[in-house]
Amino acid sequence: MTKPILIVGGGPAGLAAAHAAASLGHASVLVEKMDRLGGAPILSGYAKLVPSHEWAKDAIGGMVTRVEQSPSIAVVKNAKVKAFEGTPGNFRATLTNGEAYDVGAAILTTGFTHFDSINKPEWGFGTFPDVVTTTQVEQMISSGKGVKCPSDGRKPKRVAILLCVGSRDRQIGREWCSKICCTVSANMAMEIREELPDCHVYIYYMDIRTFGHYEAEYYWKSQEEFKVKYIKARIAEVTGDGKQLFVKGEDTLVKRPITIPFDMVVHAIGMDPNVDNMTLSAVFGVDLHKHGFIGRKDAYGVMGATSRAGVFVAGAAIGPETIDDSIAQASAATMSAIASLRGTIPQAVE
Amino acid sequence: MPIHEKSLIRPENIKTKENLIVEGIDVSGHWSTFIESRAVTDYNEELQEEIGALPGGEFIHRCWQCGSCTNACTVHAIEPRFNPRYWIYLIRMGYESELVRDKDIIWQCVSCNKCTYACPRDVVPEGVMKATAHWLELKGYTEKSPSTIFDEEFSRQIIARGKIEDTEVLHKFLHKTKQPLMQDWLVTIGRNIAMRLPVKWGLKMMWAQVFKPKTKDWAKSRKAIEDYIIEQDAHHRHALKLDAPKSKATAHQPKLHAAE
Repeated sequence: MTKPILIVGGGPAGLAAAHAAASLGHASVLVEKMDRLGGAPILSGYAKLVPSHEWAKDAIGGMVTRVEQSPSIAVVKNAKVKAFEGTPGNFRATLTNGEAYDVGAAILTTGFTHFDSINKPEWGFGTFPDVVTTTQVEQMISSGKGVKCPSDGRKPKRVAILLCVGSRDRQIGREWCSKICCTVSANMAMEIREELPDCHVYIYYMDIRTFGHYEAEYYWKSQEEFKVKYIKARIAEVTGDGKQLFVKGEDTLVKRPITIPFDMVVHAIGMDPNVDNMTLSAVFGVDLHKHGFIGRKDAYGVMGATSRAGVFVAGAAIGPETIDDSIAQASAATMSAIASLRGTIPQAVE
Repeated sequence: MPIHEKSLIRPENIKTKENLIVEGIDVSGHWSTFIESRAVTDYNEELQEEIGALPGGEFIHRCWQCGSCTNACTVHAIEPRFNPRYWIYLIRMGYESELVRDKDIIWQCVSCNKCTYACPRDVVPEGVMKATAHWLELKGYTEKSPSTIFDEEFSRQIIARGKIEDTEVLHKFLHKTKQPLMQDWLVTIGRNIAMRLPVKWGLKMMWAQVFKPKTKDWAKSRKAIEDYIIEQDAHHRHALKLDAPKSKATAHQPKLHAAE
């Protein structure tokens, strides 16, 4: 009898991998370091998701329930994998809670860590209370408390969203595009305009990367139906006088410096490699990508393969990824993992 | 000067003081010359709303600044300062003083609509140019353009009678724009018409000039058109926060003579 698959991380990718294995009648062990499943959308309190417009707690909540009710998935929360030894088809995973599992393969769905805006001090996060992150605004919306300036609770009349905070910035060693922030910001701008029709929302951008269907449904819609304004400028600094924030930069389309007052400035924070990736790399013996994400063996070979046979990877652990694509990758990686256990790869007979 | 060649220093921003003492130090002479900041310090959110409320400006908020309109523009080809993409941006962001600087260029749009067909987002830049010229007029930044004066006389006659009297349109237009009636080209046309027109038609023309006939049962149509014009004018003035006209007489359209 083949051994179960170890899935590390209970976010969208991990939930999808466990569900995929269960659908194929294969047992799995899902290990989550936090006290609940759901990953970033649940732990960070996201509001409505792209592209379904469903609330995160409903959309991801459904995936969580499906996994928790499955008889072929053993869910272990509040635990990490401490050691992972053995050979493909015959691994032993030891957890920090003292338990150990004999598994045939592992799928790393360990996700990402939100960029910490404190690393871009010139943009005022940590200095001015009304400079917030997209995650904080998601929480304001999802909690039902509404969009308010943290300093005094007033409803903002003018909000600036700064794109590429922690993305595409060699100064801080982040050479990647975080992929989802443009769309998330366009969606958030519409949500703010819907909640506060008198509040004007400006998005400061270098390029707008609302790829595929996100173009019409988020970028165009935000301009055409919600009158969100997009200004081509990378902001130089955010300052404040105690009452208002001032966003300084160059409006590159009119070639003029700008110093514009705002009530609230939102950092569209990017996706960093998971802060635990160095540990994961050591424990599972997998190579990391040069930017610190978990490396893939190749692009078109065995889906989700890492540098170590029998260990697979999917979702934002590989690099910035959407929820939809994380789910697809996890399903593909599960197929690879099960195939590796069954030895179903056909051999040519002369 | 095209946008990309614009000088960073405008003559009016250079300030020189004859005598200047800063913190007790006499800096008269070269050291007393300063350049005022070019920094934009605020957005005026009303500007887009105002121009968007005028006919033609409805879709301005769709613009994503690709520049297709300016690239397609007939006028831009011969007048590089004519840049619809740039003005649309100024309006969207509320850079009013910048927009008004170009008040004597904006109305030069020839309505060829090449921009309309080039625009990937259906902004209808030609309409925006029209709305902007209209806005500049309503706000008092520009005089009525000759074409507006022509249109007003033309529509005044249509509204009053349901038809126009060509010679009267031309005569009134030249008079209002302070142009002489006896212009060479006009004299030539007049002479040629007089020489070639059948006598019967000539008499009919003269009769029409004196008696100014109306379209049959025109009164009802006239009332509907007048009401619509007054309603639209009030709507535009409200959007631009201008005083409402006190009566029909001060409406945007010229006074309509009931006696006609």
